[in-house]
Amino acid sequence: MKRPSLALRCLVLLYVAALLGVPLVFVFQQAFSHGWAALWAALHDHAMDEAILLTAKVVVLAVPLNVFFGIGASLWIVRHPSRISHVLDVLIDIPLAISPIVVGLILELAYAQNGWFGSTFSKLGWKVMFSLPGIVVASIFVSLPLVSRQVIPLLREIGDHQEQTAATLGAKPTRIFFTITLRSIAWACAYGVTLTLARVIGEYGAVLIVSGNIAMLTQTLTLNIGANFENFNGYQGFVGALLLALVSVLVLVVIGVARHRLERKRHDSFA
Amino acid sequence: MAKGVALGYISLLVLIPLAALLTNAFNHGLGAFWSAATGTESLDALRLTVTCSLLAAIFNAVAGTATAFVLVRDNFWGKAMLNTIIDLPFALPTVVAGVTFYTLYGPLSPFHVNITGSWVGITVAIMFVTLPFSVRSVQPVLESLSLDAEAAASTLGASPFHVFRTITLPAILPALLTGTGLAFARALGEYGSVVFISNNLPYRSEVASSYVYSLVSSGQVSSAASVAFVLLSCALVVLIASNVIARRLARRRG
Amino acid sequence: MTVSLDGVSKSFGHLLVLDDITDVFAEGEMTALLGPSGSGKSTLLRIIAGLTPLDSGRVLLSGRDVTKAPARDRHIGFCFQDYAPFRHLSVFGNIAYGLKVQRIPRAQRKAQVDELLGLVRLEEFADRYPHQLSGGQRQRMALARALAIKPDVLLLDEPFGALDAQVRGELRSWVRSLQRELGITTILVTHDQSEAMEIADRLVILNDGKIEQAGKPSFVYDHPATDFVAGFLGPITTLWGIDYRPHELELALDGDEGEKGTVTEVVRLGFEVRVVLTNQTSESTWVQLTHDQAKALNPVVGQKFVVRPRAQNLVHNDATSREARPID
Repeated sequence: MKRPSLALRCLVLLYVAALLGVPLVFVFQQAFSHGWAALWAALHDHAMDEAILLTAKVVVLAVPLNVFFGIGASLWIVRHPSRISHVLDVLIDIPLAISPIVVGLILELAYAQNGWFGSTFSKLGWKVMFSLPGIVVASIFVSLPLVSRQVIPLLREIGDHQEQTAATLGAKPTRIFFTITLRSIAWACAYGVTLTLARVIGEYGAVLIVSGNIAMLTQTLTLNIGANFENFNGYQGFVGALLLALVSVLVLVVIGVARHRLERKRHDSFA
Repeated sequence: MAKGVALGYISLLVLIPLAALLTNAFNHGLGAFWSAATGTESLDALRLTVTCSLLAAIFNAVAGTATAFVLVRDNFWGKAMLNTIIDLPFALPTVVAGVTFYTLYGPLSPFHVNITGSWVGITVAIMFVTLPFSVRSVQPVLESLSLDAEAAASTLGASPFHVFRTITLPAILPALLTGTGLAFARALGEYGSVVFISNNLPYRSEVASSYVYSLVSSGQVSSAASVAFVLLSCALVVLIASNVIARRLARRRG
Repeated sequence: MTVSLDGVSKSFGHLLVLDDITDVFAEGEMTALLGPSGSGKSTLLRIIAGLTPLDSGRVLLSGRDVTKAPARDRHIGFCFQDYAPFRHLSVFGNIAYGLKVQRIPRAQRKAQVDELLGLVRLEEFADRYPHQLSGGQRQRMALARALAIKPDVLLLDEPFGALDAQVRGELRSWVRSLQRELGITTILVTHDQSEAMEIADRLVILNDGKIEQAGKPSFVYDHPATDFVAGFLGPITTLWGIDYRPHELELALDGDEGEKGTVTEVVRLGFEVRVVLTNQTSESTWVQLTHDQAKALNPVVGQKFVVRPRAQNLVHNDATSREARPID
């Protein structure tokens, strides 16, 4: 089994092409099936444009928050371990085990009008559910561990000698963080940020529940695609899908480069 | 201070909502929880979800291992492309996959294949979503595996299949198990890619997350919380069990 | 600058790694902290640098109490065993790091780094990255990086541990002469007794978190204060119930004065020959002979000889030599 047989290679290629390749190509085919003019018109669909804008707002709010939290939590877990940080280490991975629908449900249970904090929040004039904050919270929830999962193992692997050396050279903690720590984990961060971005843009189930899915108001791009599809407006749905597919191709490229760089870094590392 | 912010963040996001789930699942007593979780529709949905997830996870354990093998040991034009596209399910929104599968293999299928409203369609959608888990867990282990042991076994006259079964498989088994466990747990909660192709026919093709959604939509929040609790427990048990077994297997190998 | 330790103690959980250490490292002196792994020597080095907090006691730099001061305020150069190169910076960038922190203007910084590159003979490698360097080059880079801030004290943790034998030997004498030239107070941690004896002005031998003995290498070697020190610094053999260094014994022809025995083993190790002699009560003693001595006697297994002390035997429990230096 030193080198797999040609038959195995072909089987694998066939499987991956059928399962992953065909759907991706099909999205492009469907979106272009009515010609350029129709595509151009569909791109200017008012509801979809509003949805794109909302998704962009969610990305701008949720991604930086999670990146900030992910890096901070990783540093705490690896560099200052304590009993509490161990608890954090476990909690941080829990979102991976929860169905997006259940995420939506539990956020509603906690933060909707009749939920735990609903009355407190509404007294304060805060509207979390069925508005932007709810969508942001749901997006943050589902993408919570994506940065730290990449950063934690790398931080462990590099160790703290570089940071300590920088300290003996007179550098203050902030300087050490920006000139040493962040530089060493840059590609792992890029990887995690890209995964977070993809997940935030692509989240469907959790956002479906917490947003209320009202067109032009609380409908993200994924919800807009789903709605178009259910309203027998499949073509418009595929135009939205095309945009997301383009984003995902971009995401794939960044992920590919980041993983390559991380592997090379590991290869370059010395005993 | 920073630590307080981190703890507050995770409490508001994860801990408090989870506590809300627990109290809502059980606030009408154990009896109400039990009847909500084991009603016919709930049981059918859970059974279908577990069956399809298990099928997809097992199938992908095999297909994923084969893919990892080709990626690590084979060499051909386009291999980098194959390696890149494996992550597509992480990058492509599930709803896009959902509507695409529905159009490809639904009533209007260009291939004249209709697998909507059946376990087949659900399983295919889950296979799409979970493929990278098994590939990416096995791949690094295979890369670090020395070929010496395999070569030694071959010189002793072992057939390629025998070498794989006795040398390679035991080495990758812990990672494969962890990856399959992750895939299985993810599959149990999958919604976006499944909901279109499944048609959501109660008792027939409704997965657990769909059922929870329909309960939420019709305002039956406590019942939704009960089923959600069962679903979440299943996923956690799968994750913990696969991790524990994998660790034990790895330790036995020393 | 002198480094003084006053009753330094440290435990990790229930494990006491340093137990009431008091000592003074004199200005311009090269001291080797020598001990087996787990003796606490690396922890002591980290405490001096301010990288590990201590439980009790004080650290003084020329009388200034720095116990509470963070590493960045101590002005101490520290080199890790793995050299901890900044992987994303070139050799030049690594060495310039501390100067940048001090906000030294670019031109001056470049001049200083160039000088250091010359000092550690890495002029041609300024633009290389750490992974493109050999182990010895990485070590010299780490040294230059530490020296760039003109530290008052230089601390080296197992500086030659990760190098192969030949490079280790060369670097050792180079570091020694560099240290002499700069006159910088230096403390290095090692578990290799020959390295410590070769390079250091003074040895501090640690075991189980305590100082077993401190003093000049030759003195400590000849006058070990405890059995531990005697055994740790070199081979020991026993004759008439007394410990000797094997080279302190000699063989003589049967019939002369001494303990009678039969040769049971002869091992040639380059110019040194080890002869094992076993007496009637099956007690073995081994003697280290030079090539010439061995040639004259030509010992063969089965032959009878006598063994006896060549010179004065080891002086044990010499209280005056055992003391670490008290703080003035």
